[in-house]
Amino acid sequence: MGSYKKYTLAIVAFLLWCTNPSLYAQDIDGELLPSASKFKDPKTKIWFNTYGNIRISKRLFWVAQTHFRFEETEDTPFIGQIGQIYNRHAIGYIYNKKINASLGGVMRINFNTDESSEDRNVVPEFRIWHQYQFAQPVYSAMIYHRIRIEHRWTQGFKENSEYIFRNRWRYMFRAKIPLNNHKLEPKTLYISPESELIMQSGKAVVGSVMEDLRLTTTIGYILTPRLTVAGGLMYSQGQTLENAGVFKQNWTMRFHVYFSPDFRKVKNKLPEIHLND
Amino acid sequence: MFQFTQSLYRLTFIVAFLLFYNFSVEAQEKLNYQGPLSVGNYTGDANYAYRIIDSDTLFDGPFRLKRANLDALLQKQDYTFDFSGSFQDNYPNGFWKFQFGQFQSNNESQVVDYQYRVAISGVQEEASGNIVLGKPDGSWIYSVNKIEDSKISETLFKSSIIFDKGIPQQNFRIENDSLILAGRFLRNGLTHDEWSLFDSSGIGVDESWFFNDGLLQKIRIESSGSIDETPIYDNYAGQTKIINLDSRYIEALAIYQYAILNSDRPVGGKMQSLLAQNARYYKKIDDILSELGESSFLPEFKVKVPYFPFSKEEEQQINQILADYNAAELISKSFLEDTQLNILKLSDQEAAFKYEVINQISNDVLNPLKQLVLFINNKVLEFAPRKNLLESLWNETKPKSEFNIEVALDSVKINRTFKLQSSNTIDFSVFDLKTMQNISTTILANLEAIKAELNQTLLNEKRQQELIALEEKLILQRNEMHNYIDSVGVESSGNIKRTLNSLKKHADNALSNYSALTELNTKLSAGQKLLSCYLQINKLAKNIAQLPEQEDTIKEKYKDRIWNPFMATLMDEEVKKRITSAYRKFIIPYFLKHAENEFECNQVNQLNDLMSMTYQRMLELRVENTSKLERKLRKVTDPIVVLELFELQPLTTDQE
Repeated sequence: MGSYKKYTLAIVAFLLWCTNPSLYAQDIDGELLPSASKFKDPKTKIWFNTYGNIRISKRLFWVAQTHFRFEETEDTPFIGQIGQIYNRHAIGYIYNKKINASLGGVMRINFNTDESSEDRNVVPEFRIWHQYQFAQPVYSAMIYHRIRIEHRWTQGFKENSEYIFRNRWRYMFRAKIPLNNHKLEPKTLYISPESELIMQSGKAVVGSVMEDLRLTTTIGYILTPRLTVAGGLMYSQGQTLENAGVFKQNWTMRFHVYFSPDFRKVKNKLPEIHLND
Repeated sequence: MFQFTQSLYRLTFIVAFLLFYNFSVEAQEKLNYQGPLSVGNYTGDANYAYRIIDSDTLFDGPFRLKRANLDALLQKQDYTFDFSGSFQDNYPNGFWKFQFGQFQSNNESQVVDYQYRVAISGVQEEASGNIVLGKPDGSWIYSVNKIEDSKISETLFKSSIIFDKGIPQQNFRIENDSLILAGRFLRNGLTHDEWSLFDSSGIGVDESWFFNDGLLQKIRIESSGSIDETPIYDNYAGQTKIINLDSRYIEALAIYQYAILNSDRPVGGKMQSLLAQNARYYKKIDDILSELGESSFLPEFKVKVPYFPFSKEEEQQINQILADYNAAELISKSFLEDTQLNILKLSDQEAAFKYEVINQISNDVLNPLKQLVLFINNKVLEFAPRKNLLESLWNETKPKSEFNIEVALDSVKINRTFKLQSSNTIDFSVFDLKTMQNISTTILANLEAIKAELNQTLLNEKRQQELIALEEKLILQRNEMHNYIDSVGVESSGNIKRTLNSLKKHADNALSNYSALTELNTKLSAGQKLLSCYLQINKLAKNIAQLPEQEDTIKEKYKDRIWNPFMATLMDEEVKKRITSAYRKFIIPYFLKHAENEFECNQVNQLNDLMSMTYQRMLELRVENTSKLERKLRKVTDPIVVLELFELQPLTTDQE
């Protein structure tokens, strides 16, 4: 438990640093902050996310995630049109059953959803990311702390637009609470509330440090130890990059498939069961 | 020319013959041996002369064998001996001296004339005299002395006998620490005149045997003034036989007394014990000499006894009596000591009657015959008048053909008569060996008849007892199964419950089939079969009741704990599902079907084995590499094929 206290302290320090008022820019290139925060109308989005953790050795696994993100437009009000296709890969390291870390890259394909825009329809975006996840059992439930740091290169849809570089600082707190069982195991329905704060920094970020705050609740079902499905609803808001006084809002339906195959031979699997505890 | 050649051949032959003859004479020349030698129990250093004839060693010339061990003497005690004399053509011949010693030392030594001297105490035996061709000749003295501090302190035994080529002559004298015996012989070795035995302390009994030309007339015993004279062969004038004065002679005296006077009083007093002591010492020397060469060293004191020789028929009758008696005695003894009969006679009147018949035959007939057989075996029967002897034997219980038997059963007494079968031809009033043989033969025949009847009774009784015990076991097994099935059935699932109930039904059907049998023998064998069947069914019931538990164990065993990266928890994953599901879906129903439908003990036995082996195999398959097996199982639905794929032997009925 001592290590968790340490983690918690680190997270609190990080949050304090993120919310330091000196980071706020009051005036960017003549854009004036409004006298009161403005909130854009919420957009609705649908995400179909697949999460793969493929075991490749006793301590290493390959993270392979593909997300399809749709967002509404005026022509396609509900399911919307494709907004981003995510390809997130990494190599994960299992420190122990409760702690693991990953390092890898992301290639995101951004589609221009602005129907009136005459710019490019598709632009790529690149990231290097690393994350640290800590799990903790609480009664029959599990809680998770996830710190994810991303180094992100993005460009606008305009022709020949420059890449801008930003860092993202993400902290997510999540719980998974079994509903029809005393623990998380196959044939178990669980509810998972989560909240994630995404901060950002970089030369291009002036004032809009809170990129996103996501509040999600999903309900999942563990089919087998290697396959879980989940679905839920997320509300998120964050400062727009253009004006820190303007907040965007989203309602997102999320559908997830989690799979974790293990193609190793039986004899290689055997000793790994208990790792080092 | 021709003649000359022939003569030359002849001469050559003669020369050659002489030469070889010389060689063979040469080969018979005396050799000498010096070294260790064992003669009977005596092992020591030997020094003797010998010849070798036809690869046999013949003693010829001086001989000496001795032993003395100073270490043993100083340690504890030493047994010494020293035999010296000479042989002639393997016969002891000449002067011989035998010494046997058993000594301890007091461990005090002194040096006298450049020699160490150790004083010894113990017993020294010494015998010496002349031997002619293996037989004692002249005066022989055998003495046993007690030695204390290297000096004779007491004479324990001494005998002086004069022999003429082995036959005792003139006077002799034998004494030990308490008795002195003196007597004389005729030239032919027969005892003669008065033989007197004195008590050397002067206060005991004096005993005199009076012989006349070897025939003992009377024995006079004088004890503290009173004289008791027993006539023996006093006026006997019939045929006699010369025998040795030994224990058989004493028996001969006794049987004669028994026949004439019907007295079993022992004849004589201590004389024969002293003679026997003497004989033992002489035998010691005879054993040594016989071991080495040819000898008959035992002193033969000759006596005459009345002699009643057997006719040819009588000899046959004697042999028949011996055979009959031994067989009859065996039968009567085995029944009288039979525990089962001894129990049965308490409740079964017929058995009690037969037991009593055997008992009476044993007492009234076999006992007198036993005495007769003893006389025959001791070879003294011919030394007593036959008729008198046999009358004496049957003095108490006359031989008879009918026995009055009293059977007491539950304090009710019943009197019955047992008549010897085929006894009509026996004349019980004539006392001769023919009658004796008739009696022994008839008794044996009757005992054999009783034996046959009793054996049948005992066998039936034994079977009946066995059957009762068997049926008790059967009921016990049946109840045990019912109780077991009832107790586990409550928690069992439908299929298993149904199978267990059908086992109960099978078992009960088999029991009622069995109880319909009536014949004792078939019942016994059917019962034994059923019992072993019940044991198997009981086992089967247990095996079936265990199935769910085994299934759980297998399920548990076929689980892998794997780490779920999304939940960060360990989860159980079922592995090798094709194997476990084949077991669950095909094999278990196969077991249940067979258990329900078949009730052949063989099959039950096989099924039991198969079930245990299958369970074992399931546990083994968990750790084996089974990818090929799992692939093959994909399309299989036949339990027999599944079992074969699991490398198990399906039940034989299914293989045909």
